[in-house]
Amino acid sequence: MNEIIADTSPLITLVGPPNSGKTTLFNFLSGKNFKTVNYPGSTIEYNATNFQQKYGINANLLDSPGIISLVPNSPDEQVTIDSLYTHPKFGIPKLIIVTADASQLSRHLLLVQQLKQSNFNVIVAVTMIDILHKKGFRILREEFSDLIGCPIIKINGRTGEGVDNLVLQIKSDLGKTNNLSNGKLERVETSLHAEKILAQYKEIEEIESQIIVPIAEKKDLESANEKLNILNNALNNKPDKYSLKLDSILLHKYWGIVFFLLITGATFTSIFWLALPIMEFVDETFARLANFAASNLGVTWYSDLIADGIISSVGAVLVFIPQIVILFLILGFLEDTGYLARGAMLIDRPLSKIGLNGRSFVPMLSGFACAIPAMMAARTISNKKERLLTIFIIPLMSCSARLPVYALLIAFLIPKEEAFIGGLIFSFIYLFSIISSIIIAALINKFSKNIIKVEDSSSFILELPTYKLPKLQSVLRNTYASTKQYLKEAGPIIISFSIILWALTYFPNTNPQIDKNLLNGVEYEDAVQIERVSTSYAAQIGRFIEPIMAPLGMDWRIGVSLISAFVAREVFVSSLALIFKITGEEETLRDSILDAMRNAKIAGTNEDLFTPATILGLIIFFVFAMQCLSTIAVAKKETGHWRIPIFQVLIYSGFAYFAAFIVVNGLRLLGIQ
Amino acid sequence: MKTAADLNFGEKAIINDIDFNHPSFRRIIEIGFTPGQEIELINKSVFDDPLAFSLRGTMIAIRKHEAESIRLL
Repeated sequence: MNEIIADTSPLITLVGPPNSGKTTLFNFLSGKNFKTVNYPGSTIEYNATNFQQKYGINANLLDSPGIISLVPNSPDEQVTIDSLYTHPKFGIPKLIIVTADASQLSRHLLLVQQLKQSNFNVIVAVTMIDILHKKGFRILREEFSDLIGCPIIKINGRTGEGVDNLVLQIKSDLGKTNNLSNGKLERVETSLHAEKILAQYKEIEEIESQIIVPIAEKKDLESANEKLNILNNALNNKPDKYSLKLDSILLHKYWGIVFFLLITGATFTSIFWLALPIMEFVDETFARLANFAASNLGVTWYSDLIADGIISSVGAVLVFIPQIVILFLILGFLEDTGYLARGAMLIDRPLSKIGLNGRSFVPMLSGFACAIPAMMAARTISNKKERLLTIFIIPLMSCSARLPVYALLIAFLIPKEEAFIGGLIFSFIYLFSIISSIIIAALINKFSKNIIKVEDSSSFILELPTYKLPKLQSVLRNTYASTKQYLKEAGPIIISFSIILWALTYFPNTNPQIDKNLLNGVEYEDAVQIERVSTSYAAQIGRFIEPIMAPLGMDWRIGVSLISAFVAREVFVSSLALIFKITGEEETLRDSILDAMRNAKIAGTNEDLFTPATILGLIIFFVFAMQCLSTIAVAKKETGHWRIPIFQVLIYSGFAYFAAFIVVNGLRLLGIQ
Repeated sequence: MKTAADLNFGEKAIINDIDFNHPSFRRIIEIGFTPGQEIELINKSVFDDPLAFSLRGTMIAIRKHEAESIRLL
């Protein structure tokens, strides 16, 4: 794994329900020195580290995803809980630190009870004491510790107060000889679980009533009234006042929807408008780098490989980083404030109509940036069928890789001066893809028995966390982790296939003989490249599939570009550039491609290859087709089967071909070429 | 019998029991809907579904269908 983790040191695992301050505590204990690692054999991430040096604790510290109980409800939780009991690499933890939110103690103590029932050594770190104080209550720590039977440490997440006490407690507990408090590890039985929970909650309520008391200073009548109320266990059970107020607007019957649309709309637009200039910059930089390499390395096969193969494909991967970073920054902030859970609640009903879940909302929204992180985000959906269905429709969300393709195709249709109309067409494509993905999701849901092959009772149970100011540090960290994940999943596939693609367009006729006589330098180079491509392996494959392309009014060159779009959709553009062998006469690459497209004729005729009809056909094809190899690989990984990615390719690409056929030929019947 | 799904906005009630035949039974009690607890309906989504309840110091959103399994005193 990594050098900071030593196998011989004892293992301490940090556990806690979502929103219990676990991550904050982890940061206090670890400092900034940690590594994000996957659970062996899965893609679920957790953080592993040593303690900060100043604490002088020689132990491995593992973070774990938030859970509310030791009985798993989703595939994610299954892995988390299995690894908690016995970590595949580190074994059984010697000590477990559980975080519990003081303001909703009874819910969070359930996990503590279950961990103790399993015979772990447990320390409880009680967080959010300040919120409890605001409600007018405090915790009797020593009584609490006696009643629950393990050490209790109060932690202030803002100031770090209490962390030193926790460290002392950890040191003293590590001195114990046994890994377990009592005999052997006992897993919480799923079958007897319900009765056990009820009994445990009874115990917890009993403990809570004894250890949470009103703050003594308020000795007026009001507080006497409060005391009476406590007997009903009512007052400290009130949720946060400010969150309730904010929710009366953000979850309001009508205003709630308005805000939801505004917030998603703003997220959406910023993915595009904020990212666009940066993406163009990345694009141009790599184009320049490629040019620079080509002109400095001379005319050899390897200079071509470096320029058109390697540099361009690295650019193709990196160009999406701005969008992915911006998306995860915004989602991270929304998540941290507590709004995302509300968004999921608001959209649950409409999504449940098409077999999805409120929790599908975030993955689907992410799908507009990139399907890869989106499919990973679907792991939080506990219902298997809904999770698979969400993964199934994510490729229909108009991901950012389609942007350069649409931009090129729209630029072909609309003259530069009328950028406004181009923008309208853009919006229309998005609207069209959203509506059609809703329809397709509904249809697939209808036939889900045959396609998804999983039946599972649908449920939506979600805590609405207290509204909080987001923490920049944790948002940045998550954004970094997600971006890295994208690079790791998509990078190697896109780069290696781009290089294969380059080879297919370059070989075997590497040095075509052209009559130099009537041509100047540039014309000669163009002619060499055109000759090389049209005799290449790619061209041979393209001619082989030409019968499939002909009904769409397209030829082998578009066919090859469409095949290469399987590497990643945006490769379509660079592949057109390769095949039509663009040289940099025009100012930008796009202008040169457009120029070449306008001049392209169907072989042996004087007919234009690219007409409004074929362009619209291509746009429709890109709306539906399942093209991205990395997406296919991730779909396989996330669903554990080839069946869903295979169905996605067959259904989406099949339908894309059919729809493009209808559009091209329909328009031609109407007299539009 | 009255269930959590029948509560009006801002209405409080004590849980009597949970329908153990409900497919989400275990998850419902796990998250804290147990007999004797007081709940209050604090929010409804646009189509009156899901519903948000105040429970044990926090807010939990569940679908109407799930709220129907929570029977009240």
